This record gives sequence, C-alpha cells and structure tokens, in this order.
Amino acid sequence: MAQQKVFHIPSMHCSGCVMTLEGIEDDLPGILKIRGSYQKASLAVEWDETRLSEGKIIAAIRQLGYEVADR
Amino acid sequence: MSGLILAALITGLTAGGISCFAVQGGLITGSIARRLEVATPVPAPARKQVKSKAARHQKQQALPQSDAAAVSHTGLAQSIGLFMVAKLAAYTLLGFFLGWLGSVVSISMTAKGILQILVGIFLVGNALRMFNVHPIFRYFNFEPPQAVTRFIRRLSKNGDGNVITPLYLGALTVLIPCGVTQSVMAVAIGTGSPLTGAAIMAAFVIGTSPAFFGVTMLAASLGRMFQKWFYPAAAVVVLLLGLYTMDTGLNVVGSPFSVTKIVQSFQPAAPEAQPLQAGAPAQPTSVTIEVGAYGYTPNQVTLAADQEVELHMVVSEAWTCARSFYIPSLNLGQLLPPEGETVFTIPPQPAGTQIPFTCSMGMYTGVLNFQ
Repeated sequence: MAQQKVFHIPSMHCSGCVMTLEGIEDDLPGILKIRGSYQKASLAVEWDETRLSEGKIIAAIRQLGYEVADR
Repeated sequence: MSGLILAALITGLTAGGISCFAVQGGLITGSIARRLEVATPVPAPARKQVKSKAARHQKQQALPQSDAAAVSHTGLAQSIGLFMVAKLAAYTLLGFFLGWLGSVVSISMTAKGILQILVGIFLVGNALRMFNVHPIFRYFNFEPPQAVTRFIRRLSKNGDGNVITPLYLGALTVLIPCGVTQSVMAVAIGTGSPLTGAAIMAAFVIGTSPAFFGVTMLAASLGRMFQKWFYPAAAVVVLLLGLYTMDTGLNVVGSPFSVTKIVQSFQPAAPEAQPLQAGAPAQPTSVTIEVGAYGYTPNQVTLAADQEVELHMVVSEAWTCARSFYIPSLNLGQLLPPEGETVFTIPPQPAGTQIPFTCSMGMYTGVLNFQ
C-alpha cells in the first residue's frame, strides 16, 4: 500500500541538495516517487509501506547530513 | 568587452569555484568513491571463504593498501582534470550559443540596459539567497528538470571511474548550473556576441578551476567548515558583482541615479564647466575625446549651449568596450573603428543640460555639460 509524505528540510542550501536527497531513491527499495524542492525546502516521497518505513526514510535523510523538521 | 571577460574570470576565481563545487562537486567525488570501492574491497573475515565467481574476481583485482592510496590521489586528480576539461569545452559552446541568442534577439540599447539591471537584480537576489536572509530568495535559483538530475546522478554513481565517465559528467554539468553560473550565463546573453559570450563562459570556468580542484581534493576534511566560512565569502562576491552589474545597467539607460553618476556629481567640476561670466570667452563648439582601453579622456566636457556642437572621438589602443560609444538620451552611438577619428554632431541643447555618455556596457562613462 502506498504511503506519502512531504518532509520539511530547512537545511537545504542549494539545488545540489535536491539532487543529493533525491538520490535516496537509488538506495532505498520501496520508494515509488520522490520529488525535492529547494524553493520549498521540502522532499515529497511516496513509498510502498510493505517494503519501507517512514523511519528508514528519515534515517537515510539524516545519513546525508540533513535534518527533518516539523512544519 | 575584455573588462567583462576579466570580471567573469575573477567571479570564477572567487565565488564560482566554491558555488559550483556545492552543486557539482558531489558528482565527481561520488564517481571516484565508486572507483575506490572497486579497487579496495573490505577484506572478508578469515573463516569465510569467497565463494562467488564475482567476489573471487574482485579479490584478484584488488590492490594492496599502499597502492590504493596512490590510486586515490592520482585517480582523483586525473578525474577532476578530465571533468574540468569537458566542463570547459561544454560551457564555452554554451557561451557561444548564449551570445548568439542575445544577438539574434534584436533589442534597443535601453532594453539592453534594462536586461543588465535585471541581471544585477538576479545576482543580488542570489547573494541574499546564499546569505540565507529569507526563504523568498530561494526563488533566485533555477532548478534543472528532475529527469536530468536523476540521469546525471546515476551516471556518477554507476560509472566505474574510467576516462569516459568524468568527461561525460563534466560535459553534462551545463544542465545543472549553480546559481553563480546562472548569473554569468545571463551576462553572456546580454553581450549579444557569440564570441564574447563564449569567452565569458570560458573565462568563468577557467576561474572556477583552482577552487573547484582544490576544494574537491579537500572535500572530505573541509566538511561543515566549508559551508560555514567559504559560502558567505562567495555570497559577498556575488553581491558586489550584482550591484556593479545593476550600476552599469543604469548607466546604459542614462539614469542619473547610478552610483557612478552620484559619485561624479560630487567630483569638482572641470574648470571650464563653470557658469559663463560676463565677458568670458564662449564655450567651445567642438571637443576631442580620446578613447583608451580604460575609458574616455576627458570624461567631463563643457560645450556651448543653443548651437550644434561636434564630438571628435579619437581611438588609440582601445581593446575594451570603450570603443562601443553611446549617448543614451540621444540614442546616438556606434562601434568606433580600432584607430582614427569619428565625429558626432550633437543637436543644440539648452544651457544647464547635462548629457551622460557611456560605453555600451555602462562600464566607462562621462558627461557633456552645456553652458
């Protein structure tokens, strides 16, 4: 079943960060769609919750050096 | 025009290299990291046997640790070099195209000046984005299409670090320009010249090379320190370039509110630019202005009011945009020949009139006073 969420990542500092963050789709099986926005400082992710959890996505984002903030 | 090329080189040396690394540096370092993974696999625990054919082959291909260190520095330097060569070629071609685009779109000098002002605003907005002043300034940065960034990212990760991958990645960076690069691209369009556009982009990329090379080599150790200290420094350079570009744009449109004009207004007037006293000799109806590499001499001229006057523009060793002479308020001007004299006739002007003149890029200016 597909789950989706928009993660707020205020520490993005340029469009290169978007390219880096969207790269988690290559490392985490189960991501169906991913879309980053530097202007909105956000990362919209849709994933298969039978294969991936929100916690793993947040962990992958943190491993890249970014923090997920509460909106 | 050579002043713009020099400015592009300086922008690359200062702000561009660091900003470019922020967006593109990860591509080349990621590609090298992949090469190091292949060259130095983690040794398996002694009790486990390497059973798969691929694993046995990888073990046979692995280098001793000492050779791996040599691979890392040599391989990194080689790959960055190939990356930068391809990037230079690609951006030079892009600059040629941008300059051609600017020439094909036929616009007036006023529109050109407005374009320069807009470019300056874009640069200032970019600088404020880099200072993280307010989230609204994030919109002063164009994001490439996701399909493009995904393709480049996967090429970087999956490439085996051979010669082709860095070359390919370097060429593809034209699709993911950093904020400072986008600003210089805008300047290249504004030149309206394919060759100048190409030269500007080439100078900029060459300028980025030392910083990009050095920062990439030190990326692992710089880490957060890079972001804390170098990024604000780069933002200052972009801000200054933006303010300068806005000022030159204001000069091109003949605005009295450019910093150049305001500073000139505080300068003591030339002795001849004084109000006429009774019995004083009449103001000249003709003046000779020398056009040199660094502007016009004299740049403050007084001429007779209420009659037709002549400007004799004499060019000598002017290899800059000073040869592209323009009087905005009269829409009068032309590209002066490399040597010799060109005469402009100015229609009668009332006493007290001040008419600014400038090069076509707004970098070298002066004023005609009518008394």
